[in-house]
Amino acid sequence: MKAALVMSVGLLALCGCASQMVSIRAVPAQTPAADNAAAVANEAAFAEAVATESAAVEAVAPEAPPLLTPEDAPPMYTYDPWERFNRFAYRFNARFDEAIFLPVANTYRRAPRPVRAGVHNFFGNIAEIDSVINYTLQWRLKYGLRSLERLVINSTIGIGGLFDVATKFKLPGTATGFATTLAKWGMHPGPYLVIPLLGPSTLRDGVGFLADYGTEYGINVAGLYRGNVSWALGPVNAIDQRANIDFRYYSGGSPFEYETIRFLYVRRRLIEDVGLHAKDRQKKPAIDAPAGK
Amino acid sequence: MVTTMEIARRLRQIAFALVWSAPLAISAEPIEPPPQSPPAPPAAPGPATGLSDSAGLRATVFGTPPETMATLPAKVPLFEINLTLPWRLPVPEILWFDGKLRVWLSAQDKPAPLAIVISGTGDDGNTKTISVLRAALYGAGYHVLTMPSPTFPGFIVSTSSTGVAGDLMQDGHDLYAAMQQIVAHLPRKVRITDIDLLGFSLGGANAAIVKSIDAGEGKLKVHRVVMINPPVSLFSSVGRLDRLFAATIGPGETGVELLYRRLYAQLANLYRASDRLELNENFILSAAAATLKTDAEFSQAIALAYRLQLVDMFFIGDLYAKTGVVVDPEHPPKVRDSLEDVQRDLRAKPFADYFTRVFAPYYLKRRPEATSASLIAANRLDIIADALRTDGDYYAQTNSNDLILNRRELDWLQDTLGPRIVVYDHGGHLGEIGDRQQVADMLDMLAGRWPRSAQ
Repeated sequence: MKAALVMSVGLLALCGCASQMVSIRAVPAQTPAADNAAAVANEAAFAEAVATESAAVEAVAPEAPPLLTPEDAPPMYTYDPWERFNRFAYRFNARFDEAIFLPVANTYRRAPRPVRAGVHNFFGNIAEIDSVINYTLQWRLKYGLRSLERLVINSTIGIGGLFDVATKFKLPGTATGFATTLAKWGMHPGPYLVIPLLGPSTLRDGVGFLADYGTEYGINVAGLYRGNVSWALGPVNAIDQRANIDFRYYSGGSPFEYETIRFLYVRRRLIEDVGLHAKDRQKKPAIDAPAGK
Repeated sequence: MVTTMEIARRLRQIAFALVWSAPLAISAEPIEPPPQSPPAPPAAPGPATGLSDSAGLRATVFGTPPETMATLPAKVPLFEINLTLPWRLPVPEILWFDGKLRVWLSAQDKPAPLAIVISGTGDDGNTKTISVLRAALYGAGYHVLTMPSPTFPGFIVSTSSTGVAGDLMQDGHDLYAAMQQIVAHLPRKVRITDIDLLGFSLGGANAAIVKSIDAGEGKLKVHRVVMINPPVSLFSSVGRLDRLFAATIGPGETGVELLYRRLYAQLANLYRASDRLELNENFILSAAAATLKTDAEFSQAIALAYRLQLVDMFFIGDLYAKTGVVVDPEHPPKVRDSLEDVQRDLRAKPFADYFTRVFAPYYLKRRPEATSASLIAANRLDIIADALRTDGDYYAQTNSNDLILNRRELDWLQDTLGPRIVVYDHGGHLGEIGDRQQVADMLDMLAGRWPRSAQ
């Protein structure tokens, strides 16, 4: 019933968006003074980060694997055997986002900041379970322990995850998931894949996403995933995520946006794989296979 | 959930950080043989970086330092306006997302003058640069309407009456028509007392042309114009960027591929050495800054940014003009078709190719009296030299180290505008927008308080 309602509102929105000649709608206000103050505050930290990045490469430990050379970079072409499907999925996602997802997220952004922070922290805390499990599976126990501490602290002192107190205790979190575990144990990203509603991915990352959701469903935290409100969980999580993403499909107007996003997404994941295997002492990370024809 | 979109956004931001947002130089125009033009700024093209020096290149890439920024308002309300224009040409299937003109309005709740701001080459009406101007103008009491450049893909498809962007007069007429439509459709509660125009980079030249058209037609009654870092000859400015590309990246796709491989290896090494758990935005920005050191590297970033925008305009022009350079006019690509090879081909093509293979064939066919030389000559600011010289409502702000100008072009601007131009000794191209002095001067110009000494 609820699904049918959502579907019909969505269809109406999709039909209506092309009809009138002029549409005017309010979007979230800009906050230039605060943005600039933040930029001033970040500048010193940024300069320091730049210096650290530069120094880090020069001070590579002797046992580390050899540095990558330009010849090690994967080709500029990206392996995309499902391109026809992917392109239609990309267009669908763009339309869905423009007609439904983004307007809803923009409306949600008018809710008071503490409310949104609470929602965000809550879902972050649930995802921490995946991080604990997967850091352990990746045999990165230091981070697994950190995630576990975060989970415990935030679930108790943080009142069921509504407050991220662990970060204030100098325990910042970095989420991981099953996709990274697969990568850690040697699986290549596989073909590029645009998942309907979700967006750019690869076969490996898609499998990882399903596994992570399955884990949360299986553990069924506080009975949420199979209780009365389970139908709302996915959408609320999605809207929270969307409201925190500053991306709009085709805002650059480029005919080559599909190519650009695909290129950047896959390169990013490949570089993360390089980092993942850094401690493995293998001569060179095998990064060439997944990209290129 | 949706973490993949998060990644996509971050990656987009890299692209912006590395290239696109690097406030773009340029003016969308051809270099063929360097302009053999009769009047004003003569042929000598000068170095590929124009007047720019090391500081100018850095300012062009990094933009205005936040600590020198003018005081900006805490909150700027924003409305997005989408228009379907009655004269729109049929929208090609693969450009389905570009069919509406999208502009942005920040309105005061009392009667106020309207400032219309036109973006720089290839950019839309809501970039970082244009947002700074919007904030400054809104804070000073203007209604602010920000518009894309006529070379922005969304403008070409939704608004251009030709589909072939880059002709100063044609683009000016399209802009002028669009502005009339927008102003006519603004909500009634937006009460406008006066209309002023601003533009930066190519947008500066566009704004001046629109005012000159309005001087004849009088439909908007544009009052004052401020051009920020305008080009003088679109052709020599773009020619300079093409040569910058050839000199620092190398001709054709090989250079791009080498640059990509180098950047990839650098980023991967930095990431691996950093002991981080994810490749996030902060890392990318600092790593990008760490890899940008020499003048040549800054020049590469600028040249690549410019080329990537040219690729879009070239592709769309070829599609509309049916000139068949990369798009088969009989079988235009569909949504399902890969465009990777097309994009690759186009990355290797300089503006000169756009001019000789798309722009000139298209306009020569429609203007029997024109020649290649006359098309080039028509794309210089001096086609409105008399108005610029005699009408006291044209103003300009530019920098003595702007890479899209050479000495003679800057001299010509100073000679033509006299006391109505201010030249800063820093900022490169667009690297002083939002700076305290720039904003104060801009507001005085718009309000008719310039030159201050005359008061």
